[in-house]
Amino acid sequence: MQSTEFKTIGDASWRKDGIAKVTGSEKYAPDISVDRMWYGRVLRSPHAHARIVSVDTSAAEALGAVCLTYADVPHTRYNERIVSTPPCLYRDRTVVADKARHVGEALVGVAAPTEALAEKALRLIKIEYEVLEVITTMDQARKDGADPIHDTVLLDGVDKPIVNNVAVRRTIDVGDTVKGFAESDVIIERKYKTSRIYHAQMEPKSVVCRPEIDGGITVWASTQSIHNTRILLGQIYDLPLSKVNVKKVMLGGSFGSSIQMNSVTPICVGLALKSGHPVKIASTREEDMHDHVRYPSEITLKLGMKKDGTLIAGEMHAEIDIGAHNIQAYPFLGGFGGFWASLYKLPNMKYVGTAVYTNKTPSCAMQGFGAPQVHFAVESLMDEIAHEMGFDPIEFKLRQYVGLGGTFWGQGPASKCIIRSDGVPELLKTGSELIGWDKRQKSGSQTGRMRRGIGMARGFHTSGVGHAKASGAEMIDYSGAIVKLNEDGTVDLIQSLMDHGGGTNHAISKLVAEELGIPNHMVGISPCDTRTSLYDVTTHATRGIYAGGSAALRAAKVVKTQILEWAARVLDVLPESLVIEPDYELGQGVIYCPNLAERRMTVGELARYLHLNSLGTLSSSQSLRMVNCPPAYVSYYVEVEVDTETGQIHSRRAALGSDCGTVVNPALASGQLIGGLSKGQGYALTEDNQWDPKTGELASKGFWVDGKTPSISESPLVGDIATHFAHTYEPTGPFGAKGLGEAAKNPAAAAFANAVYNALGIRFYEIPITPEKVLAALAEQAAGKANKTGQATLKAPTPVAE
Amino acid sequence: MKKHTVHFTLNGSPREYTVNANELLLNVIREQEKLTGTKYGCGIGECGACTVHVDGKPTLSCLALAVSVDGAEVVTIEGLAKRGELDPLQKSFLDHNAVQCGYCTPGMIMIGRNLLDENPEPTEEEVRTHMRGQLCRCTGYASITKAVMGAGKPAPEFKIPAE
Amino acid sequence: MFMNTNTRLVSPEFDYLQPKTLAEAFTMLADHGGSAKLLAGGTDLLVQMKMERQQPSHVISLSRVKELAGITEGDVLTIGATTSIRDVSRSGPVIAGYTALQEACNAYSTVSVMLMGTIGGNICNASPAADTAPALLVHDASAVLRSGKATRTVPLRDFFTGPGKTVIQPGEILTAVELPKPAKGTGSAFLKISRVVADISQVCVAVVLVRDGDTITDCRIALGSVGPTPMRMKQAVGALIGKRGTPEAFAAAADIVAKDITPITDVRATEKYRRHVSRIIARDALLTAWQRAAEGAAK
Repeated sequence: MQSTEFKTIGDASWRKDGIAKVTGSEKYAPDISVDRMWYGRVLRSPHAHARIVSVDTSAAEALGAVCLTYADVPHTRYNERIVSTPPCLYRDRTVVADKARHVGEALVGVAAPTEALAEKALRLIKIEYEVLEVITTMDQARKDGADPIHDTVLLDGVDKPIVNNVAVRRTIDVGDTVKGFAESDVIIERKYKTSRIYHAQMEPKSVVCRPEIDGGITVWASTQSIHNTRILLGQIYDLPLSKVNVKKVMLGGSFGSSIQMNSVTPICVGLALKSGHPVKIASTREEDMHDHVRYPSEITLKLGMKKDGTLIAGEMHAEIDIGAHNIQAYPFLGGFGGFWASLYKLPNMKYVGTAVYTNKTPSCAMQGFGAPQVHFAVESLMDEIAHEMGFDPIEFKLRQYVGLGGTFWGQGPASKCIIRSDGVPELLKTGSELIGWDKRQKSGSQTGRMRRGIGMARGFHTSGVGHAKASGAEMIDYSGAIVKLNEDGTVDLIQSLMDHGGGTNHAISKLVAEELGIPNHMVGISPCDTRTSLYDVTTHATRGIYAGGSAALRAAKVVKTQILEWAARVLDVLPESLVIEPDYELGQGVIYCPNLAERRMTVGELARYLHLNSLGTLSSSQSLRMVNCPPAYVSYYVEVEVDTETGQIHSRRAALGSDCGTVVNPALASGQLIGGLSKGQGYALTEDNQWDPKTGELASKGFWVDGKTPSISESPLVGDIATHFAHTYEPTGPFGAKGLGEAAKNPAAAAFANAVYNALGIRFYEIPITPEKVLAALAEQAAGKANKTGQATLKAPTPVAE
Repeated sequence: MKKHTVHFTLNGSPREYTVNANELLLNVIREQEKLTGTKYGCGIGECGACTVHVDGKPTLSCLALAVSVDGAEVVTIEGLAKRGELDPLQKSFLDHNAVQCGYCTPGMIMIGRNLLDENPEPTEEEVRTHMRGQLCRCTGYASITKAVMGAGKPAPEFKIPAE
Repeated sequence: MFMNTNTRLVSPEFDYLQPKTLAEAFTMLADHGGSAKLLAGGTDLLVQMKMERQQPSHVISLSRVKELAGITEGDVLTIGATTSIRDVSRSGPVIAGYTALQEACNAYSTVSVMLMGTIGGNICNASPAADTAPALLVHDASAVLRSGKATRTVPLRDFFTGPGKTVIQPGEILTAVELPKPAKGTGSAFLKISRVVADISQVCVAVVLVRDGDTITDCRIALGSVGPTPMRMKQAVGALIGKRGTPEAFAAAADIVAKDITPITDVRATEKYRRHVSRIIARDALLTAWQRAAEGAAK
């Protein structure tokens, strides 16, 4: 179905929060101020691993500050991300810690009337530490006799011992890999490594908490889920949820780093409850860097296939350094295996994922969850196999990808669905034409200083974590929405679902306008909070439009039925005979009977009629759990230019394709793809975080530029980036739409690595592909050595000329 | 520490503040005036989110002492729209969908405004040079480049490589 | 203090002084001695103060001292110490005669930092990575240092004594840098390698070449981020003066550069990488400067 059939979906209207954003009037958590507000600061550990012997806050308190120490907070451990169900929820946190497990761990909260005073008070707190062994690598962590970072964690009410600092292990077995590999003609095994990059969202995590006179609290926080923040705060501080109100404020980027309640939020609440004052904590950039990074990975991937390239067996071992806390390692490892299972058909597969604690910044979800890591390994290896065996990479992948009718694992073994829409062939064809795939040079054939290379990778992300099973879910996944018709014919959409900035709320308001047949501008996105909205799990897993949009659409359908029933009475026709269409000149939705031209009225006229005759408000409140999790496919073709003398790699051109079903906000969707390219380029080529192996300190010490976030200068020219969309319609999605957000980044690293291979004839198995690595590999190449340290070809393919 | 009385015009209206010597312009704007369009992003001039105009020049308000702008004209993002009419660059950001999460947007617009004041029809290279200090994590910068160029001549379109 | 790299606050408390003349500034400096700091653009000092690496009792802002700002052309080119990097980069005489300096200014951080940061601040800060330092070195600049009583002119090659350290004595203020007129047939260039464009350099290099036909009659090479101070490369220069300017000669000189520097490994680059790219960009800068010298026009 073409988007041109729609009245509102696919239009180029200004996003509804746009004027507030360009004028600086939009409020983010750091912008909130309330009367009598105090300022909080957090004392963070300078040690990566230390027991707290004593804490003396007397000097700080003598200044008039209020301090929150471990003695002041509940000692029952919690997990900060309550998306998973209790059997899958590993609890190892308290509001402030009893033991420092990473540099920057929050130990004491301080609040005072001014931020300067809070800062002064913070410096007067004396903590005596007993410094423990600093564990910065997974090998060190798993060694016998290594200091345990956590002795136990709380799992479903039971204390679970942690052995050798292994936080979680998950396995997936499909078919018989022993038999599969035995029957393989070719077996290739490669090791891949991805880094622990910083989210680098523009808004440092911030929170304001106001204690209320009834014993409750009102909270404004950086979060991807106001409802989960509310539930968790209620649990931690033993408050009835009716007295915990979390306000929806704009999110200044997040990329997964606020799926969990950020560490400053419960500290701020504790300070507010203790002091009786509203308190604001706004993290500094450096503190923020100590709070969250992307899950890194070390992946061993072995694929076995027949001579014709047909994959018959695969084995993957993924080892994940999760840092000091287990935020979501269990679902991460499940998702990791599931994403792998969903890329290419593998009748026999074995997956082992292991998550290990270290004394470093806790890692968590970042755009793509485990998918960027899995895509890097799988799409790199598929490219390598295609080259080694003489297949065209596109044809090789099209032959074996999991597509229409296949099973898609949305997020691990517990969330699967049958694929009902598939734009992959179109994406790969269009992308290859746009980039000039057939005109690329033979890999490694260039000799000059500057060498260009084109690479491709494909993939997907899930659209939500829906599934058809009635119980036994690993994750909570449902959304709510309220749609109500106002007295002038405009509509309020009340939905707690957060917008990362991609335009989710705007898109959903368009779905409502489309359904109701009224002009887009008549649907307002209401400010809301947890008291006035229905539960929404969180904006993660690329579920915003697909899951949140479906809930809103369901509410809109009910309201539309009500409108038609009432209009039918007023116009004296049958409801079935009426339609509603937007009239942009009139600025109204017009209800009319196509067969009886004079039987017409505007939605506004109907609303006024209902109001003046005391007939009530037309509204619907709907809560919805999706039973599918369709793949949001994506394709990446990129061109790089490698300076073989400096080792620098420049991102030059890109053709980015998305199969998000119906495109609701075309320009914003395109912007999501290009944003994915930017973050993907950083992930592939520059971004990294280093920790001092001895002290566990973050090498950047808070300097953002050390994170090497791409700027405008590192981006391709605007005329060298193309975006395109598959013409598909997802039958289970709202007006045929599915997800896009995270997919926009997932194949990036592999596409860049494959492009570098095309330029240099050298495979890189570790990202970022820094200038140092490029120079070292070029030197090895010049010396006639292959850059394949630790890589094994167990059964070799017959060599082919490329 | 001596308190200072500082006078400057903020978005056209004269203001007087009593500040400590170590108080930053950013905090006077955000905390005293509650003009929160100017953002704290990094505190050390790496991200550009705190950019305001001081006597017409883009200034990082996280690295400017409030005492040092005594007598100056300070304009923040809130001062750009005149009598409810958006600045053409603000409109261009909306037209080009150059706004995603919006946290970098005020700084982007302030530096972009400065570029266009100096050079109403910048080339893409000039836009890239002028805006290299403004970080954005959402957009990948293409829409922002187009928005800034859009006020002058439109940005180039993608070309499929010729045979 | 731990974890205060980039707070919203400047924690150290100080008194702020704002002289209108140099004479006033000298008096203030004399009154508060070693515990006072001079503030120019603030893009470095305020970061240092946030990190509490600097905790002055008094901050003396030079922004209202008119004598310190601006560029004047006479026997030498005089650039006032508080002239912004941006103004230097756009100055007619700098564009006409001091290409390496102009390129160094344009490569300097970001536009806002260029507008706030000053040339005097950049060199007084004495970072081994200061972009303008190698350029000023190859343009044979001198620092004009004044105290209440005397004025002295120090060649910039003798100015830096260590990371963050210079020959400036208590009571002295850097008032200007002076650049001699370039000789006929001069070409210059500046190149910088950094991880991302707005970053501090991993290595930067500035080169001045003077040519007479095919012969190199004078040459200066300086690098940043490769030792405790911005470094002049005497050996490499020695290998070039009097020689024909050929790609081979420049490559050989660049090899000497890579040997003579004393880089370290830090968060921005390894020692090995710094040596490697020093050779590349020194060679490229020499080739570019040579080309420009041929193009003549007093560059």
